[in-house]
Amino acid sequence: MAARVLQQCVRTLARPSLRLSSGNAAVRAAVAPSAAVHRPLTFAADTRGPRLLLRSRVPSVGVLCRQYGDLPPLTLETIKDRVLYVLKLYDKINPEKLQTTSHFMKDLGLDSLDQVEIIMAMEDEFGFEIPDGEAEKLMSPEEIVQYIADKKDVYE
Amino acid sequence: MAAAVRSQVISLYRMMLTESKKFPSYNYSRTYALRRVRDAFRANGALEDPRAVERLVVEGQQTLALIKRQVSIGRMYATQKSVVD
Repeated sequence: MAARVLQQCVRTLARPSLRLSSGNAAVRAAVAPSAAVHRPLTFAADTRGPRLLLRSRVPSVGVLCRQYGDLPPLTLETIKDRVLYVLKLYDKINPEKLQTTSHFMKDLGLDSLDQVEIIMAMEDEFGFEIPDGEAEKLMSPEEIVQYIADKKDVYE
Repeated sequence: MAAAVRSQVISLYRMMLTESKKFPSYNYSRTYALRRVRDAFRANGALEDPRAVERLVVEGQQTLALIKRQVSIGRMYATQKSVVD
């Protein structure tokens, strides 16, 4: 489905320049590799359409810049928001009583097994392992945010 | 001594939960294993007798080995992913 959306975007972008470009052999030859790239994306009924419309060169779309794929950068605010969001999803925590400074065992009434589950949820959310010795010391959302900021080198 | 057993139990719980998440199929084992591990640890959480606790820890370690074996078997014979996965 994403392939179909991509195709439509390319078509709408390629259409205005379709009238301008003449079908000379150089452009067609340049387009042939890109059509070949797009071929795995097309479904069986759709073979003629993209090849005709991709006649013009697509690189005229947008500025010529490189785009690398990466996650958005972490800031203390985003870490805090994500930690609180994960904690609100946990069913044993009352979302109204949750503060950043609330202690898991004293304020929220959880036990050590719950704390293990919470730390594992944080590991899944942020994508890195937290060793046991350090995990059992993290007893409030504030400490978790500090620990993650230390590990990920996030500072203000 | 109690602190050592406690940390052993905590690390056992953690390892069992981590291994249970690795089951490849949703309906066959994963949800059951997670639920069963959580319920068993909670139900026995109030025990104080050291011998009973030790026996349960040994049983937990055997169950952990069982889960690891079943995870690798499940991966060997993986079925097609369903919509739930």
